Amino acid sequence: MVDFARVQKELADCNRDMAISGVSIMLHGNGNDLSHLSGTITGPLATPYEGGTFQIDIRLPEGYPFEPPKMQFVTKVWHPNISSQNGAICLDILKDQWSPALTLKTALLSLQALLSAPEPDDPQDAVVAQQYLRDYQTFMGTARYWTETFAKRSSIGTEEKVQKLL
Amino acid sequence: MEVFLSSDEEDYYYYSDRDDALEGLDVEEDSYCQPKSVASCQVITKESLLIAQREELHRVMDLLKLSEQHARTLLIYHRWDAEKLIAVLVEKGKDQLFAEAGVSMVEQKVDFSLQSSSTIMCNICMDDIPAKEVTTMDCGHCFCNNCWTEHFIVKIHDGQSRRIRCMAHKCNAICDEAVVRNLVSARHPDLAEKFERFLLESYIEDNRKVKWCPRVPHCGNAIRVVDDKFCEVECACGLQFCFSCSSEAHSPCSCMMWELWTKKCKDESETVNWMTVNTKPCPKCYKPVEKNGGCNLVSCICGQPFCWLCGGATGRDHTWSTISGHSCGRYKEDHEEKSECAKRDLYRYMHYHNRYKAHTDSFKLETKLKETIEIKISILESRESTLKDFTWLTNGLNRLFRSRRVLSYSYPFAYYMFGEDLFWGEMSKEDRELKQNLFEDQQQQLEANVERLSKFIEEPFESYAEEKVMEIRMQVINLSVVVDKLCKKMYECIENDLLGSHQSTIHNIAPYQSKGIEKASELSPCWISKADDSDAFLQSVSNIQGGTTEPGWPSSSPNLNGNGCSSRKRARKALGDGLFDLNLPA
Repeated sequence: MVDFARVQKELADCNRDMAISGVSIMLHGNGNDLSHLSGTITGPLATPYEGGTFQIDIRLPEGYPFEPPKMQFVTKVWHPNISSQNGAICLDILKDQWSPALTLKTALLSLQALLSAPEPDDPQDAVVAQQYLRDYQTFMGTARYWTETFAKRSSIGTEEKVQKLL
Repeated sequence: MEVFLSSDEEDYYYYSDRDDALEGLDVEEDSYCQPKSVASCQVITKESLLIAQREELHRVMDLLKLSEQHARTLLIYHRWDAEKLIAVLVEKGKDQLFAEAGVSMVEQKVDFSLQSSSTIMCNICMDDIPAKEVTTMDCGHCFCNNCWTEHFIVKIHDGQSRRIRCMAHKCNAICDEAVVRNLVSARHPDLAEKFERFLLESYIEDNRKVKWCPRVPHCGNAIRVVDDKFCEVECACGLQFCFSCSSEAHSPCSCMMWELWTKKCKDESETVNWMTVNTKPCPKCYKPVEKNGGCNLVSCICGQPFCWLCGGATGRDHTWSTISGHSCGRYKEDHEEKSECAKRDLYRYMHYHNRYKAHTDSFKLETKLKETIEIKISILESRESTLKDFTWLTNGLNRLFRSRRVLSYSYPFAYYMFGEDLFWGEMSKEDRELKQNLFEDQQQQLEANVERLSKFIEEPFESYAEEKVMEIRMQVINLSVVVDKLCKKMYECIENDLLGSHQSTIHNIAPYQSKGIEKASELSPCWISKADDSDAFLQSVSNIQGGTTEPGWPSSSPNLNGNGCSSRKRARKALGDGLFDLNLPA
């Protein structure tokens, strides 16, 4: 059983300071399933993801928080550790380094940190990682272009949702 | 293992110097009964598992003044290699040794449960919990009992019982096994038992020197070797296996050769290889078609004509150079070469495989011999005769089994030793031919003598006159010695002349054991008396051990040795010492 009491608390805690942290969580598709959530992170400053808003699909397994949440980018993103095909994420704390003491908020913050500091030596997307290592300029260009194209279109929608929650 | 070989050697020289083989035999009989100084492999049963690991645990506990659970954590981290653990201790110091393995001992542990009035916020469920319902681990992290329990259950189900880490992020500490046991058993007693079992079995699974017996269905035993992991052992259940790769005993093949060979025999890759080169699928019915001469217009048994060169369907009319309505690429020269190669490889494989198979089959047939021989012995025994001792016959039979195995596995060995797969680039052509001749000479000598031995043993001597029986007896005794000597020589040749000159160390071959594959001895509890505590418990464990294994013995150990039938006790003792040659077919 997912510990829903904790999830409720986590949501409240996370959304309290979303303006500062740049991450927020809400129920998926405005439904009422506490095990299917939708996270949002803003692209970190001074990266090709700056100005973008990225949606992350969050599913909580039965054993949450003793098992890690399953997270996947919904917004297309050009990043060595994120699949350009399906948004799968390669991040240790979402796998074997997960600890029940971590929260959805800390996980999202880690994703934000991952956007700032790619780890091309441990890639999820080999094509992107190759480009990152061999042709950094082109990589920056593509990542910026993808942010412009995919991460800004929905920004109005997201802001509306944010307003609603506040 | 060394002890084994050298004592053999003495036996052998002693033997060959003797004129009177009868006397020599008696001497060998005596040597059988002498206990060997160190057994090189032991069987660990479900009951003796705890005893087996106690030695290592106590060593670490005494050395570092630790509790058993911390010693266990350290040993699990270092895969039960106490030597390595001590090396790390000397090199890096106690603190680092502990930190790496996740052993933490906080001196001033804040005991929340004493402040019974207050509540504590658990960082996992984010609730305020009464102080008596929380647990602080050795690392100092404190969470509520419910959350700990959940965490333990998830980790045990996840197969991580041996290293359940603290719940705090980036805390490397391993949770106190007593806490895990208590909390989990409160909710799931079964799971707590499993946890206990997993913890104990770490000694087998995370240990280089211990392996599960690979019998299917599982016999529940594991085998521990003393120092050489390249050896062949026999479990108490009777299964003989290669300790290194857990497949059947296969020396003088190396593990890699044996793996390649079984794979090759299984998928018949040579046949497939030959077929792809020599046949083409019919474009209509897809059956493989072999060209048996004539021009390149081939017709399949189904009636469909097609071009042999490109495989495409054609019309029927043709001349020697053209086919109506069809033209394709020109004849390719390398095609012929490829087909020749495949043919040659296949024939080579067949040569070795046929001989390997022939000896394996003989080996299986000779299994029946064991029963026939027993009948013959009882007939001879009932006769009025001066000949009363028939150990020469059982010894000869055992020698036959042993050498037959060696012989059959020597063929896959030769296939790889002199073939293209493994050593092709490491030897010049002349060098290889020289070595191959050397090896094959020995192999043939062995083969001839094994067959002779087999012939004599199979003779219907129970109906012969005593004089004739004595003659056969001499032959069997002599051939047994010769065959043993030849096996030994062949292994020496492999080790020194064939593999010795190669750099690669991947081809480790279990040494030849004249007396057969060593039976794992029961775990001897002599050193346990040194352990200070729980004598009564150990007593009870060894009682269980004795109780469960004893009834299993008669069925699991074929009593082929002469005295085995009459005196089970003595046979069992000898088996324990691993000195009896009972390498019968499984």
